[in-house]
Amino acid sequence: VTAQFFFFQLLNGLSFAALLFFLASGFTLIFGLMRIINLAHGVFYLVGGYVGLTVTLTTGSFWLGLLAAPLAIAMIGLLSERVLLRPIRGQALPEVLLTVGIAFVFADMSLEIWGGDPRSVPLPEYLRGGISLGFVTYPRFRFFVMVCALLVGLGLFWLHSRTRVGAIVRAGVDDREMISALGININRVFAGVFVAGALLAGVAGLIGGGLLSLVPGADTEILLFSLAVVIIGGLGSLPGAVVGSLIVGLADAFGRALLPELSYFTLFAPMALILVLRPHGLLGRA
Amino acid sequence: MMSLTNKVKLATLVVALVAGLAAPYFFRPFTVSIFTLAMIFALYAMSIDLMGGFGGLVSLGQAGILSAGAYGVGYMASRVGAPHSQQILVGLVAGLVISAVFALMAMRTSEVYFLMVTLAQGMIVWGIATRSTDLGAENGLRGIVRPPSVAAYWKYYYLCLAVLVVCGGVMWIIVRSPFGLSLRGLKESPTRLQMLGYNPALTKFYIFMLAGFFATISGVLYAYYNQFVSPSNAAFLMSGRGVLMSILGGIGTLVGPVVGAFVIVLVENILSVHLARWPTVLGLLFIFTIMFAREGLVGRLSQLWHRWVGDEREGPPPEANVLMASPTSDGPERAPMTQ
Repeated sequence: VTAQFFFFQLLNGLSFAALLFFLASGFTLIFGLMRIINLAHGVFYLVGGYVGLTVTLTTGSFWLGLLAAPLAIAMIGLLSERVLLRPIRGQALPEVLLTVGIAFVFADMSLEIWGGDPRSVPLPEYLRGGISLGFVTYPRFRFFVMVCALLVGLGLFWLHSRTRVGAIVRAGVDDREMISALGININRVFAGVFVAGALLAGVAGLIGGGLLSLVPGADTEILLFSLAVVIIGGLGSLPGAVVGSLIVGLADAFGRALLPELSYFTLFAPMALILVLRPHGLLGRA
Repeated sequence: MMSLTNKVKLATLVVALVAGLAAPYFFRPFTVSIFTLAMIFALYAMSIDLMGGFGGLVSLGQAGILSAGAYGVGYMASRVGAPHSQQILVGLVAGLVISAVFALMAMRTSEVYFLMVTLAQGMIVWGIATRSTDLGAENGLRGIVRPPSVAAYWKYYYLCLAVLVVCGGVMWIIVRSPFGLSLRGLKESPTRLQMLGYNPALTKFYIFMLAGFFATISGVLYAYYNQFVSPSNAAFLMSGRGVLMSILGGIGTLVGPVVGAFVIVLVENILSVHLARWPTVLGLLFIFTIMFAREGLVGRLSQLWHRWVGDEREGPPPEANVLMASPTSDGPERAPMTQ
């Protein structure tokens, strides 16, 4: 029973970590390059989930939903970056506060459009049910989420460290003026990274709609978890996002199971500890 | 000899104070209690401005501290049934303890990082309030009753006015004290502040505690105003609202947040009659203010005044506003200035 319980919670933690990685990776890439935190990320997640839900329900196809959610959020991200953030580029604090405004508007509009009741995304037949691992049976969809996160993670690391695009982004993190001087359109790089982050948040929304549920307030809740991930892992670091997601995901799963009356403390305690000992996170740069 | 600008400032304050004292004689009870709410928010927004506008540390989690004060009162009133003196005492202690814990966590961070840490802190208070059955979870805590001596709406109005004036005065003294100067150092160049023998982290701790103290007082007043506390007191929207009040009025001026609070509370109450989607309006106002009116109403008025008097020298330097002087996103810290 103990081993069973342990594995079950381990898998819960890992699948939640997988979901968090989709959000935190975008978050951290945007910060690494643009030095801003996109506080609309939670709302991007929620709206992505809702758009995916609507598309899935109307077309009957989960995969079309999974395509529509990131596309819709990428569009919103592109518009926000172009129209709102670009004119005030270079002023970190105002930029971040602007994303607060974006978050309020979209959160309220989604309440207007999709209502206040919890919704969840219907899954196709072959993603439902469980997979038996002999001693423990675990939902198939959660395995699917873990595999997706692993693939996306590997893809991001490959993009980041092995391709020209990744090299440009890394150079941009180190010295923005220098790469502009080398003839690279830095504005396009910024927009690209911001849109990529939004895209990942959109994917996360639909996945979260299958894993948890979509409800007003889910946006701030997931934002809090993502903040905890980057605070612990270190803002701006992709490996940090991996480590942070694992810590937060596992701490949350075991915390909920072992100390249900202390929920949130499992989130707060590691964060407080890290901030006191290493203010820039485990893998962040000072 | 007082300069013309200072005379005008003083006269405006006196007029505002007289108007504040006279208001209950001229307005309906409903309007007076809206003013009361605006004054509570004014104190709350000033606490954000004290840290953000003067110390360069913009907090997006101040609602968590306000709620700690409010929940302290609510818990003692509705769960324990303690007398008012104990309710208020526990409210203040709760707010200060939470402030101290949060300050310890945030004091080694700055700028955008500080913003993120405080946001997470505020949200954790919200999360705990939503889940804890001791705190009434989603339903919040009812059964908070004002002390009989200030139970009437107009008495409570005068109490809030008095608290606002006293706290505002204390903040005025703080920002003009040597400590206030070290705050400016914190905003403009922490490295240089350290070189002069100050400890930036400790300065941040102090200002966090001071701001937390004022936010706690506003939380206690807010609990008795509503006679009810709920998790929405700690929500992201609530923290954002305080920051918006402060920016809209003019961050870095103590009068600004008061103006901002009155504008937001009045607009909210007028609009909510016709419009259900108030948070959308708040969000749009946020975006608009950041993009086009970052100096705020008071900042803009002051600019216009100085231009009109033809006295450029006395005007506030543009970098006094933390949103104007915000370091560029190039590199984690601004390069040291050369003379």
